[in-house]
Amino acid sequence: MFRTTEMVINMGPQHPSTHGVLRLLLRLDGETVVDSKPVIGYLHRGIEKLSESKTYVQITPLTDRLDYVASFSENLGYIGAVEKLLGIEVPPRANYIRVILAELQRIASHLVWLATHALDIGAMSVFLYCFREREEILDLFESFCGARLTYNAVRIGGLYQDLPEGWVEECRKFCELFPSRMKEYEDLLTINRIWLQRTIGIGVISAEDAINMGLSGPMLRGSGVKWDIRKAYPYATYRDFDFDVPIGKNGDTYDRYLIRLEEMRQSRRIILQALDHLPDGEIRAKVPRRIKPPKGEAYHSVEGPRGEMGFYLISDGSEKPYRVRFRSPNFVNLQSLPRLVEGHLVADIVAIIGTLDVVLGCVDR
Amino acid sequence: MHIEKRKKLSFLKRIFLIELFKGLMVTLKNQFRPHTTVEYPKERLVLKERFRGVPRLRMHPETAEELCVACGNCAEACPDNCITVVAETRASGKGKQPKIFIIDYERCCLCGLCVDPCPTKPISAIYMSHDYELASYTREKFITEKDRLYSGHEKREYKK
Repeated sequence: MFRTTEMVINMGPQHPSTHGVLRLLLRLDGETVVDSKPVIGYLHRGIEKLSESKTYVQITPLTDRLDYVASFSENLGYIGAVEKLLGIEVPPRANYIRVILAELQRIASHLVWLATHALDIGAMSVFLYCFREREEILDLFESFCGARLTYNAVRIGGLYQDLPEGWVEECRKFCELFPSRMKEYEDLLTINRIWLQRTIGIGVISAEDAINMGLSGPMLRGSGVKWDIRKAYPYATYRDFDFDVPIGKNGDTYDRYLIRLEEMRQSRRIILQALDHLPDGEIRAKVPRRIKPPKGEAYHSVEGPRGEMGFYLISDGSEKPYRVRFRSPNFVNLQSLPRLVEGHLVADIVAIIGTLDVVLGCVDR
Repeated sequence: MHIEKRKKLSFLKRIFLIELFKGLMVTLKNQFRPHTTVEYPKERLVLKERFRGVPRLRMHPETAEELCVACGNCAEACPDNCITVVAETRASGKGKQPKIFIIDYERCCLCGLCVDPCPTKPISAIYMSHDYELASYTREKFITEKDRLYSGHEKREYKK
């Protein structure tokens, strides 16, 4: 007599919980998700193709705009690939500063994740507090390179400028303040019963599935796989620093939450070590004015806040790259979404998109 | 490094809503912290020295001569092709000066790559200014010619 039929509905592309312009085609049985299909392409800017018409230096501002929440990491990855092509050795001081800024960027990016993830699930004050702390990191970036979001501070062979006066003290001050603020977020969320109920057992992915799908970053480590580019293929000077890679056990949303929080603490640890041992010297290696790498190809990947960000360049010996391809962690992580949401309720989709920490600018380049 | 085990709430903590009061304490503590909100445009933040606004040109600070030698390096470096330079010979002295110098702010992405290759030493002729309020009703106003590149645009003040 009473029958339920499956219903197809759209979520997004402008829904605020879809973090930009992600559209989800959901097949629902009542409130339960039977099937889902992420539709991307609403933010397609063709950056990879566009890059082929620009010189190697001119591509750097474009990479800023891939993953706009973590543009310094993107810069670093791209420049690393160009440096591999050219065979340039970067001065140690520049490398140390790069590490400091990359880790600050990781904290800033994870703060945005925590803020929006908490807001999705319904915690408003965490959002405000996280953005307050992120603002201090952005101030540090502003006094270093003049921009707050799209930095363009890395140059081939080093950095554009040295650290300004008093920057190290400011950075240290932030590092000292940060743990007490972290404790506040933990007080608000970690044992909060609403938070526990909304995250434990939601969006579980096994280690095997995660590896098969090519996930990276906290998404992979949440399932208990110890994989971090900073440890596996250390770039810059990550070999010099002592830090841990947190891994989870259950591969659910709550584990990924704990991992990202721990990553912020580890980033702070790296920053403090780097500040203590900051060497003197040049910040830019000698680079020819016209950059013409020899024929060949290079792949360089960095551990961005969301996972492995890879840059693949093919040079034909001219001023412009012959082919440019980016491996974006967001794009690869997003393909696990149908698996994660299957069988959950519609309200859980919001939590799962939040735990993916997706930035749509990087999904469809 | 395995993340620490999940915290389980004890029976007593569960009954007395300990986690709820812990959270409330955080929000209460934050009530007494100074405000971080800035009421723009009535109040403005102090910009950092290296702040990158739109690019502008400058005169020599002492002799008040044009620094730009119209070499076109900035136009070449620009990833958005928003700079146009046409050179002419200088009326006094050697070298060249720009006859036409246009920056199209509509396309400018504020990357600062134009400042890098500027050959005028020790002060570069083109620099990233502190101008950032650029809204306009017409698109033509974004196409900025030489005079306005030197003078900049006036800042409007708002009363509190």
